[in-house]
This record gives sequence, C-alpha cells and structure tokens, in this order.
Amino acid sequence: MSLEIGVFDGLLLAGVVLSAVVAVLVPRRTSAVAVFLVFGLLLALLWARLDAPDIALAEAVLGGGVTGALLVDALASKQAEVPRRRSWALATGIIAGIIAFLGMGWVVSRLSEPSGQLPLLVDDHIGGSGAEHPVTAVLLNFRSFDTLLEIAVVMTAVFAATAVSDRSWTRTLSASGELRIIAVVLLPVVSLLAVWMLVAGTTRPGGAFQAGAMVGAGLVIAHLTGTRRTSTRGPWGDALIVLGLVVFILLAFSTAVGGAGWLVLGESWASTAILAVEAVLAVSIGVGLARIFLANRREPGEAR
Amino acid sequence: MTVVDLALIAGPAIVVIGLVGHLLVGDLLRRIVALNVASGGVMMVLLAIAARGEAPDPVPQALVLTGIVIMAAVTGVALALARRVDAVTDESEGR
Repeated sequence: MSLEIGVFDGLLLAGVVLSAVVAVLVPRRTSAVAVFLVFGLLLALLWARLDAPDIALAEAVLGGGVTGALLVDALASKQAEVPRRRSWALATGIIAGIIAFLGMGWVVSRLSEPSGQLPLLVDDHIGGSGAEHPVTAVLLNFRSFDTLLEIAVVMTAVFAATAVSDRSWTRTLSASGELRIIAVVLLPVVSLLAVWMLVAGTTRPGGAFQAGAMVGAGLVIAHLTGTRRTSTRGPWGDALIVLGLVVFILLAFSTAVGGAGWLVLGESWASTAILAVEAVLAVSIGVGLARIFLANRREPGEAR
Repeated sequence: MTVVDLALIAGPAIVVIGLVGHLLVGDLLRRIVALNVASGGVMMVLLAIAARGEAPDPVPQALVLTGIVIMAAVTGVALALARRVDAVTDESEGR
C-alpha cells in the first residue's frame, strides 16, 4: 500500500486528532464515551492504512467492542460532582504538555532510517517457525515470553475485577423474545468468526487475541439474552481463565527440560504447538473478558 | 510527506492531550477515557515506526497488539474500581 498522502489520509488524521481532543475536553460523561467510540473506530481505519491489518482487527473488536461495552455500562452510574481545578494547575498542565509535545517531536525528527534488521531476522527464521504470518510468528514463537507475561497480566486483571464485584452477577437473566432472536442469529456468526480468526492467524491477519475477543463477545451476548450457565462465575470459569497461563507455562517447562531451551519450538511440531496454544489462549481471554464485563455490570436504574 | 510522517506528528500530540487530560480532569470515568486516548497515541507512534520500512516491521506490531489486549482488560478493572470509589463518595456525602 502506497504511503503517499491522499485526501482520505488527511481527513482521517484530522478526524483522529479532533475526536481525541473532543473526547478529553467535553464535560459530560456520555458525550466523552460516545466521542471516544468514534476515536476508536477512526484509529482502526488508521491502523489499516498503516499496513497493520491485525492491529486494525484487534482495535475494532477490543478497543471499540469490549472497551466500548465496558464504558457504556459504566455510564449507568451517576456522575459525581468534582471540584474544579485551580487555574494555576491548568496552566502548569498545559505548559508541561506543550513542552512534552515539543520534546517528543524533537525525538521523532531525529529517528534514523529504518535499518530493517528485525524484519530481516524475522524473514530468515519464519520458515521453521510454525506460522506463515509474521506477526503470529513473532507473538507465539520469537517473542512468546512476552505473550506469556501478557496472559498473566490479563488473568490478574480478571481476578482483580472479580474481587471488586459484588455477588449479584450470577442470576440467569430473563430475556424478551426479541433478544432471544438476536441471540439465535448472532451467536452462530460470532462462533464461526472466532474459530475462523483463530485458524486464519497462521497464514493471514488474525490470531488468538482477535478470536478471544469474539469468544468474550459471544459469552456476553449469550448471558445478556438469557442463556443459562454463561455468567463465567464459579470454578469452571476460574479454571478456564487460568488454563491459558497454565498451558503456556507447561509448554515453557517442557521445552526447557526436554527440548532445546525455554520456549524453543522444534520445527516439526511448532505449528501444532502454536495452534494449540492459540486455541487455549483464545478461550482463556474470551472467558476473562466476558467476566470482566459481567462481574461489574449494572442494571440500569440500580443503585449501588 | 507520507502518512507515516503525519502519524509521527499526530501521535505525540494525542499522547500529550490524553495525558494532560488524565491528570487535570476530575471525573474518574473521563480520566479513564483520557488514558485510553493517550494509549492510542502511543500505538500510533509505534505503528508509524513499524510502517517506515519496505515491508511492515512485525515486532512493533506484535507489541501494539499485546498492548491493546492489556488496555482492554485493565480498563475494565479501572472502571470497576472507579464505580466503587464513586459509590463510596456518594455514601459519605450523604446522597
């Protein structure tokens, strides 16, 4: 994709910066969330324009979908009164911001030409890595330790969200007829998309995280439309959330003890290992994200 | 001027807007939104750097993907905590 500027690019970047400014400055919560959702959508377009289709997918489904759902649900609480900042604090903040922007601009202007070393390294080793898509190979083979730590962070966040919640989130909801129709139509599509993205991640944009977010979305839709046993609470939910990290650690130990080193995947079984780990990660992340949403969900009009 | 150059200017601007907003705004939900805006700016800089070469560099893209997943999860926790803080503040002010 050519990176020369067209009218679309100028409009897109102007829209991104404008929606960022408005999302931060507008005083009402509901407006801030609405403009932030627009910001997320424009960011997804920008990532696609910057040759990052994986990230565009992930931004659309995680930034717009999951974060959007979380923010909109948080709007159900009343907005508290906050004291106004004093003017000297505002002035200091704005001046500091301008200095920081100029500093970052100076650093960015001194970036050297891309040496291309990392992409060359990836290209050299991608043959036996078990995945044909470079981002998947980097995430699950070359830098799999980072992904292991990421799963640990997500798991910790899920249990933190569980700890903060009260006990009212396990009731099976009763849903009207229209909601059930929505579920019947949406759930097969969501499941198909989740499995497709998981399997497609080996050869094209996709992978465990996008699939995991679809699994999470599917669980939330199922619970909100009255399906039984989809609240992710209880020992089954805990087990599925922990499973991703446990499987990853088992893989690390088995490669350290019986293989060529920590998380070194042998060429013959690398693709199987990657697909298996991705499947488990997708389930874990899906259940985890669903639980983060459902554990702290508020019925409209409920008081805390 | 390419898209990458524009993104390398807009990225730091959005980071600063988000950070300053996060530090100066009072309402907790708006602060969380501002922090998400700032993280969007950081991702813009990383992805612009990744797009500079002939083929897009997959390592910064993998880092950004990791960051998006973690931001979604941590935003959920932050919102739950913000709701508890607001609820406790409401109770203590006798509403």
